[in-house]
Amino acid sequence: MYITRQSLPRRTFLRGLGTAVALPFLDAMTPALARAQRRKPPVRMAFVYVPNGIDMRHWNPAYEGRLAELPQTLAPLAPLKDDVLLLGNLTHNTGRALLDGPGDHGRCCGSYLTGVQVKKTVTNIKASVSCDQLVANQIGTQTRFPSLEVGLEDARQAGDCDSGYSCAYTNNLAWRSETQPLPPILDPRALFERLFGDGAELTPDAKARRTLYRRSILDFVSDDARSLRGALGPTDQRKLDEYLGSIRAIEEQLARAERESAVDPHMDKPYGVPSDFSEHFRLMTDMITVAFQADLTRVVTFLVTREGTSRAYREIGIPDGHHPLTHHRNQIALMDKVAQINRYHVEQFSKWAAKLKASQEDEGSILDNSMIVYGAGLADGNAHTHHDLPTLIAGRGGKFIKTGRRVVYRRETPMCNLFLTMMDRMGVRMDNFGDATGHLNGLDLA
Amino acid sequence: MRPTISLAVSGIVVALALVVIEPARVTGQSDEFDSLVVPVLKGTCATCHNDRLASGGLNVTSIMSAASLSQQRPAWEKVLRRLRAGDMPPASVARPSQLPSMIAYIDRAFERADAAAPADPGRMTAHRLNRNEYTNTIRDLLGVRFRAEKYFPADDSGDGFDNMADLLTVSPLLMERYLAAAERIAAWAVSTAIPSKAIEADYRARDGRIRRLDRSTIEAEHRIEFGGEYVVRFGLPGERPAVDGRDAAPVTLGFWMDGTLLATKSVQTKPSGLVYFDPYSEEELKLTLPEGDHVFRAGFIGDEFVKTLPNEAAYDRRKNKFLDAIIFVGPHAPAPDKESRRRILTCDPASGRACVEQIVARLARRAYRRPPAQREVDALMRVADLGTSSGQSAEHGIQLAIQALLVSPNFLFRIERDPDPRDPTLVHKVSPFELASRISYFLWSSMPDEELLSVAETGRLNEAQVLAAQVDRMLADPRASEFAANFAGQWLETRNLDSVKPDPDLFKEWTPQLRDAMKTETTMFFAHVLRENRPITDFLNASYTFLNERLAAHYGIPGVSGPEFRRVELTTDRRGGVLSHAGVLTVSSYPTRTSAVIRGKYVLQNILGIPPSPPPDDVPPLSDSAGDGNRSMREQLTAHRANPTCAACHRNMDPLGFGLENYDAIGRWRDADGSFPIDATGTLPDGQRFATPGEMRALLVSQLPQFSRTLTSRMLTYALRRSLQPYDRSAVESIQRTVAADGYRLQTMIREIVASLPFQSRRGEDAPLVR
Repeated sequence: MYITRQSLPRRTFLRGLGTAVALPFLDAMTPALARAQRRKPPVRMAFVYVPNGIDMRHWNPAYEGRLAELPQTLAPLAPLKDDVLLLGNLTHNTGRALLDGPGDHGRCCGSYLTGVQVKKTVTNIKASVSCDQLVANQIGTQTRFPSLEVGLEDARQAGDCDSGYSCAYTNNLAWRSETQPLPPILDPRALFERLFGDGAELTPDAKARRTLYRRSILDFVSDDARSLRGALGPTDQRKLDEYLGSIRAIEEQLARAERESAVDPHMDKPYGVPSDFSEHFRLMTDMITVAFQADLTRVVTFLVTREGTSRAYREIGIPDGHHPLTHHRNQIALMDKVAQINRYHVEQFSKWAAKLKASQEDEGSILDNSMIVYGAGLADGNAHTHHDLPTLIAGRGGKFIKTGRRVVYRRETPMCNLFLTMMDRMGVRMDNFGDATGHLNGLDLA
Repeated sequence: MRPTISLAVSGIVVALALVVIEPARVTGQSDEFDSLVVPVLKGTCATCHNDRLASGGLNVTSIMSAASLSQQRPAWEKVLRRLRAGDMPPASVARPSQLPSMIAYIDRAFERADAAAPADPGRMTAHRLNRNEYTNTIRDLLGVRFRAEKYFPADDSGDGFDNMADLLTVSPLLMERYLAAAERIAAWAVSTAIPSKAIEADYRARDGRIRRLDRSTIEAEHRIEFGGEYVVRFGLPGERPAVDGRDAAPVTLGFWMDGTLLATKSVQTKPSGLVYFDPYSEEELKLTLPEGDHVFRAGFIGDEFVKTLPNEAAYDRRKNKFLDAIIFVGPHAPAPDKESRRRILTCDPASGRACVEQIVARLARRAYRRPPAQREVDALMRVADLGTSSGQSAEHGIQLAIQALLVSPNFLFRIERDPDPRDPTLVHKVSPFELASRISYFLWSSMPDEELLSVAETGRLNEAQVLAAQVDRMLADPRASEFAANFAGQWLETRNLDSVKPDPDLFKEWTPQLRDAMKTETTMFFAHVLRENRPITDFLNASYTFLNERLAAHYGIPGVSGPEFRRVELTTDRRGGVLSHAGVLTVSSYPTRTSAVIRGKYVLQNILGIPPSPPPDDVPPLSDSAGDGNRSMREQLTAHRANPTCAACHRNMDPLGFGLENYDAIGRWRDADGSFPIDATGTLPDGQRFATPGEMRALLVSQLPQFSRTLTSRMLTYALRRSLQPYDRSAVESIQRTVAADGYRLQTMIREIVASLPFQSRRGEDAPLVR
């Protein structure tokens, strides 16, 4: 019997990205990467969203100004405290009930980046274009992927999601249009293949043929969709427009892929979804790091777990579901478990931020040239409050944000003010966004 | 504190005031309304539903006229539902004697109104295949086993189902995956390459290529590229020490593919007696495996030993023997020809363009689920011609045409046409082909088969008898199991068994095998009621279920041995009906304990069709997640109901949940919860009392019309892929009447749904123009 090995011996490259001091993939850059590095580094923007609010007892320090000792939940960020800015009193009024009754989880996640009060419905959803997509639409043409959406929790769930709100609101952060949420990639392998290709080694001839075929097929389906469109009603036309819009996005991506060589991330192709949460978090953020390094994208949304999730955290000895725990009726033992989950999330985030900080490029580290918002759509998960939302920014957005501080704004300052300001920094100038009342001052002040 | 709230409240008051001052139109039924309805509203309802309290958001002054039946229809629908369910008026209030005639009157009034209004079938939005439907359609179209779940992002769900057309969008990410999948699938379908050598694919713990499901179970996803004979090897490090001088017992190694047990083998776990530093052994099985994406699982069946180990010893090679690798070697005798090639290549493509066109046209008819226009075939042929024009073969051209078909909107969407898409008054029957797809995606979650397409082609599918014969045939087909898995799995929420995680420290019995057994019980039970056309009362209270040894042991039912499921007669009233299925009881529990609130809500929503209103704005859901060691859960919940705001809903929810307290958080029978004896007494919303789960189920059977209406509404939602609207009421009621007259048989419900107006017809849309 002849045996040939199918599994690739590529793991010789890299054993444990997490254990090495420097990132191995920084050592040997591909030409594309090197080109990207010679330019002035771009500014990147990312949103990391955690669900079910945060136990604010252990989030807010008792002081303002320069960051000193950090509260328990934020303590994992201590080595990076000069690189973060803690923001107080930002509010999402559109997450509140207003006239729509119960459903704070569905609403707060749907409104988080869209800044609008989403339509209360289980099927015919309506929100608005999210701020990350407004940026992606404008500057996304400069990178292979206008934006990346990632997450860690599978959305497949029977039953209702939250009090008359469709699961679309709690499964997604980014919205491409009023009716089109962008699903996050959950499988590290799928993200790997998306960013770095499927690894097929083709001869130049075969590659040229594949390009010819793909183009012809895209032309074929665009014709198909266009000839269908005319005979349809408005809602069906919208469906086809989403389809055509996605086809156009792929065409642009293909064109770019032809001009540029593939990025070699110098890491093993992951095998599916790891059962360990921190390992899953690490794999996804490692790949985002490479994507930032190689300038494959500048805009990322990261839905850590679904809003309203009942995931249990046995990894840290918590067998209870996250959401039921947050309805703790102010029992200290339960609140402490919530705080433990909050801290566990921050810990994973801080490891990522540390890697971004260790990744040097011209004019500082990647972290220096990024604005990464870490936050939640609820503050107190027990009472479903929408004011003083836990919010921090890691990174300076390229000499834009003065970090290492806590700034507390006037009460009820719209969260959208922050997003408007960040969009501005990304080069997308808007007169207004959501319920913003203006720009958020003070990000750059000592 | 929050100005918006007070604004909101005053907004409601303003709205109500407007309604009250609007002069009521006098209608023919006004006298009856005054004699049958008004006394009840004034005498009974107004005690709470008045200007001042407006309990539950209802103030009866706004519905005090016959005209309000049409003007305030949604409010009246809600009132009718609550009156029918018997939870209003509350048990503490005397029941007025006119209540039955009042209910009958409202019913009649709605019927009259619906009969007078033009029939409205609504419309189904263009429906993108969801992951499940894509998987099945690829299988039926090409004979290729592809698991879309593995490659595509998750579909969003709403109204309880993942097939709602409005929510199924195409993101750039999904489009990218569609294109990549089409390349792969087309290549798998047509390619002839058969390996000349056996290939080894290994899945090892140290490479992170297996998932550990528990201490004695591992899982790997693997694509069998070529159906044929394989040697599957298992890596087993470690050894189990002797206990009290007795050698460790052998274990039974089981090997599953996609949840089905393929083979078992006895494996020694005691030290081998050989001298080595690192004890390790391998076992192997010789198996014939089918081409396709599969989930393989290896595990020790009924492994009692590992439950005794502390965590740190679970993977200690001196203290335990466990699984850590699955290795596939093969194929040794590949299947000579693929099913997909036989299906697709009906002539020899090398014989010329005519054959290629014949193949492409035939595939397009099946992929588009209707005869393609010549223009469409021509466009596909231009793609197919690339095969030869780029220096490849004609067969390769067919592969490219398949690739194109699989990303065409005509394949990915089911798009129905209107004579005038912008005229909402133009009601018309859907075409026979559209109807064929509606039925096949309803019952099979897949495309129509050749027979259904051929019948549609004759144009006679709209004839009642022809249609009924097709539905009968399709229900008898094995593909109808998809309906059981997808509809029942979502209606009864047992699909969530994949994501629930009972605390392993508290529930050591929780294993992947047990989880699968729970799923199988409910799916087989549903499939049985469907196949045998049993009355839907079986769902509430049946004297039989389907068990294997594992689940029977879980239920404490003796005399069931072996891993196969079989029908088991239930001799006590501890079990019977879906509310006693361990899967249902598990998905309605917290990881560490039961929840009377969740279970009560489950019964109200999925059985009685009166989902409790969500908690008011400022009141978070009453959570019973937290144990309070000094009081039983019942006592804690009773204390909560002292708060009138909470009581309004919880007095319906909690007592139903109490009736299921004899089942623990993974559905085992128990007589005590810790130190508290179980008290399973409770009440139905209409006040009827029960003392045991068996009595509760018997009482639920007395609510059969209510349950039947709930099931009809859920099933119609699933069939139409949209939320039901007020205008669907007459369809639900008419289905409901026929089903009741026919002894509440499940197949009758399905046939009536297929024959109903909204399933058979559609209309144009009254929405604003896009662009």
